[in-house]
Amino acid sequence: MCAELIFYSVVPSEEPGERAEIETFLLRNGLSYDEGIEIFVVGREGRKLVACGGLEQNIVKCVATDPLYRGEHLSLTIVDKVIHLAYERGHSHLFLYTRPNNIAFFAGCGFYPIVEVPGLVTLLENSPIGIRRYCDGLSKSRQPGARIGAAVLNANPFTRGHRYLIEKAAESCDWLHVFVVAEDASLFPYCDRFQLMKSGIEGIARVTLHPGSQYMISRATFSCYFFKEKNVAGDCFTAVDLLVFRQWIAPALGITHRFVGTEPFCRTTGKYNEDMKYWLQADLSAAKPVTVVEIPRIESHDRAISASEVRRLLGTNDFDRIAELVPQTTYDLLSSKYRMKAVGSHTSATA
Amino acid sequence: MKIIKDAMAGTLESSDVLVKVSPSDGPLEVVVKSEVERQFGEQIRRVVADTLARLTINEGVVIVEDKGALDCTIRARLQAAVLRGGAVEGLDWSILQ
Repeated sequence: MCAELIFYSVVPSEEPGERAEIETFLLRNGLSYDEGIEIFVVGREGRKLVACGGLEQNIVKCVATDPLYRGEHLSLTIVDKVIHLAYERGHSHLFLYTRPNNIAFFAGCGFYPIVEVPGLVTLLENSPIGIRRYCDGLSKSRQPGARIGAAVLNANPFTRGHRYLIEKAAESCDWLHVFVVAEDASLFPYCDRFQLMKSGIEGIARVTLHPGSQYMISRATFSCYFFKEKNVAGDCFTAVDLLVFRQWIAPALGITHRFVGTEPFCRTTGKYNEDMKYWLQADLSAAKPVTVVEIPRIESHDRAISASEVRRLLGTNDFDRIAELVPQTTYDLLSSKYRMKAVGSHTSATA
Repeated sequence: MKIIKDAMAGTLESSDVLVKVSPSDGPLEVVVKSEVERQFGEQIRRVVADTLARLTINEGVVIVEDKGALDCTIRARLQAAVLRGGAVEGLDWSILQ
């Protein structure tokens, strides 16, 4: 190498010139620019951009090295810089997607595979024992029985429809494990969603409520779920999330069935349900298939009850109608904590 | 000493080692990955176990990604990661020698 290598970070939204150069560099290396990236580390030799790697919260993205500099530790160095930047920004549990043929390189950077969509993409995390430890923890909640169910709900917020789904599912199983999506990217924060779910399912027998995790319907496993309201779902990639469920979570708890509500409104969730039948049931994995059971939604005034409807009604402050769709506990919280917010829904109400 | 938050020390550069520590309720779990596993794996594990014992770390998760670091580097990186992630009061510096 002739000139000295320097590394520094770039916030693409503030530095359009750098951003354009990164975009060109990525294209030249067969990658497309990811709009979600908040910050990059770039490496330059003199003025020449020779490596980059980006971060969207705890997900490492768009790692590329100039072909002329590969095999000189530059790739390793850029990943190392990205890892340190992530820690500085408060993210220690990192995820990364890559083509399966890059697994060996990333293993050298401390990233280990969780699942592979054969021939397409592998999800890695920066721990050799991350998901294994998570599943060891889960397996302590195993219950005996031949038919063990699971449901993963965002419950944004918890409605009578969710209650119905869980009742029906629990009725047909020896035990039901329910997970609340942990990612805080919805209107209602996780702690409220969890609390409402907890009080909402009281009295239903043979159910365990689990906190969600990074390993199911999270930014890491299924990022486009959280952009569905921006309507950019397109061909959402659901395979990774569903394979993690089939290969890790289901075996840890002995899950044989996964329950979902039919989805009449949201395209992303509808596609997720459709894809679930393939990735959980088809003969494509060494892990046992999990049977998908769709439960038709209950209706109120001839319309399926949905959380998105409740959010819409909250926007217009229609609490009479909300009362018909949600249990008392949800109503009370919405009424006390979110009424003010709804009034000034587009201002920064601090109530 | 107890690990109370995620912390890291070191790098992935050749001849260095990256150490990551995080809290957990269970017993101490240590994972060592090394590029020179076959020649020095046992020795590295001894150094790691000894350093953690001196720091009285009995719980948490410690992940060591070794790139061929010398023993003194492994010790230093482990100590730094633990001190960054640990609840340290009145540290006895002599244990770090």
